[in-house]
This record gives sequence, structure tokens and C-alpha cells, in this order.
Amino acid sequence: MVRTPFEIELDDMTLARARRGDLDACERIYRLFQQPAFTVAYRVCPCRELAEEICQEAFITTFRKLRQFRGDAPFWGWLRRIVVNHAISSIRKRPKESPVEFEEHHASTESASERIGMAMDLESALATLGAEDRAIVWLHDVEGYNHLEIAALFGKTESFSKTRLSRARSQLKRLLAADPPGQTLHSAVAG
Amino acid sequence: MQKETDPLNLGTLPAVAPPNDGWPAIRAGLEKQQRNRRWSRYSLSTLAAAAVVTLAVGLYLHQPVPDTAAPPPALDSLIALSQQLETRVRTYRSEIGALPMESLVYQVELEDLIAQVDEELSANPDSAELWSRRVNLMLDLSGLYQNKLRRDYSRMASL
Repeated sequence: MVRTPFEIELDDMTLARARRGDLDACERIYRLFQQPAFTVAYRVCPCRELAEEICQEAFITTFRKLRQFRGDAPFWGWLRRIVVNHAISSIRKRPKESPVEFEEHHASTESASERIGMAMDLESALATLGAEDRAIVWLHDVEGYNHLEIAALFGKTESFSKTRLSRARSQLKRLLAADPPGQTLHSAVAG
Repeated sequence: MQKETDPLNLGTLPAVAPPNDGWPAIRAGLEKQQRNRRWSRYSLSTLAAAAVVTLAVGLYLHQPVPDTAAPPPALDSLIALSQQLETRVRTYRSEIGALPMESLVYQVELEDLIAQVDEELSANPDSAELWSRRVNLMLDLSGLYQNKLRRDYSRMASL
């Protein structure tokens, strides 16, 4: 079972106060979850301004609808669903972006890869994927969503989710393996 | 070690901190919405009562022989108006899409209030006061979309 960075326990008292509209309690919830929320939004839509906007809208929706939270599942799961829904809705609204060609991407990130190493390699490769592929690989591999859940999010079938995941992983593998010696993911780790 | 569920180790990527503190904007939005809710609750009953009285008087003056067995005409008019507004909001939604963030809190709040009225209406479907309240809320919701259209139009006109 994947443990997501969202998995933060929230005490019942804070939740009850926030339900009553106590803004201090809402702030506490925001501070606890702002980073995982921003991370998911940013991984799905790799633009800081857009991710910030997604988070703000998602938190406002969360606090407005808090009275509807039944408490039969962990709060973090409910909040994460709202953030993910806002992020998916945001990528649907935007015109289709064309994934960056590998050669282009590689040339532009070479020095950055040298500087930062593994994380930058992987991060840059992830950023080159198309919006839907990026969202699917992140939600499946990091957030632990299953294909049925992803299909429901996109209003598509499970095979859509499986195909896109497989395509996204292959593309990422290709991008990471194509790094020249001294800059690859594995040599960065070994070196 | 690579996991089956995360073969590329995407989970090792660092968490990303938001560039700015988003709380002040969220708090301002929530405070505005709370003020709006207080105002709505206070004024809605007054507006509803006024609307019902106006409609009832108007319809009474135009209908010299009221049929006491049938539901009051004011109620039918309110239900029809509510349906018309429902259609109008649906059209706006499909044409305009999502509202900007500053309107989002109002939209969510208005939809919450409409849901509350609908719940009350399911127990008391012939309440003119409830239908009147629903009409007022639908008018407010429709107004949000009209404002957005007006802003978009002004922006295009200024180009």
C-alpha cells in the first residue's frame, strides 16, 4: 500500500471547530496540508502560479463544504480528492499542451541536471509529459490511486488509465536512460 | 529499492513548498463569505416575505374570482420562475464554464443555501415562502454569471 504525503492525522477538535467556521482552526488545517496539496497540484500542473490558484480554490471549497464531510473516512483523503478534482478540472480547461521533445528538453536541462542531480533529472522528465499522462503517473505511482479511481476522475475507462500509465512510464524511462554518462539518474546516485 | 507501484521512484521527488502564503487570500474569501451568509440569512426572510406579498397582491388584483380549491397562483408563478432561472443558470454554466476564484465562495455558498431550501421544500413543497427564497437565491446565482459575462465583455471591448 502506497503511503501518500497527504496522510496526516487531523485531531477531532480542530475538525469540529473548523466545521463551525472557526478561522483559526481552518488556518491550522491549511498549514498542515498546504505542502502536500501544493505538491500534488504542482505535479499535475507544473506551473507555480496555476498550482497556487488550484490550492486556494481547493481549500476554499474544502472549508465551505466541511459541513458535508461525514467523517466516515480520513479527512486527508477527502481533502486530497478536492485538490485532485480541482487540478484535473484545471488541466481540462487549458488547451492541450504538446509534450516537449526529448532532444530539446535534454539540451535545455543539461546544466541543471549536473547541478542538482537525480531529482532534477526525474523532475524535468516528468515535466515533459503531457498533462494527462503526468497526472495519471503521479496519481497512480505516488498517491496510490487505482485505475478505477483514475478512470472515474477523467470520466474514462480503466483501460484508458492503464494505457496512459504504461505510456507515461515508458516515456519517462526513455528520457532517463538517454542521459549521457555522468548525468544519468543511476550514475548520479552511484557517483 | 524500486517498488512495483512506483518503478521510477517518483515518490523520492521532494515535496514542493508553495511560493507564497496562500492563507491570507483564503481567509479573506472565507470572511467575505461569512459576512454574506449572515446578510443572506437576515435579509432573505424579509425579501421573501416582501416578494410573496407583492405577488399575492398583484395576482389578487388581476383575478377577481379566486379559486380557493386550487393552489395559490403566486405559488405557481414562483415555481415557474424558479424553473426558468434553473434553465438560465444551466445555460450560463455550459457557456461560461467555471467562475473566477473571487466568485467561487459566493457560488458555493449560494448552492449550499439552495440545497438547504430544497431539503426544506421536500418536506413542505407548497410553501410559497420557501419557493420565494429559492427564487431569490437563484437570482443571486444567475447574477454571478451575468457579472462574469459583463466583465468578459468589457475586457474584449477594451482590446
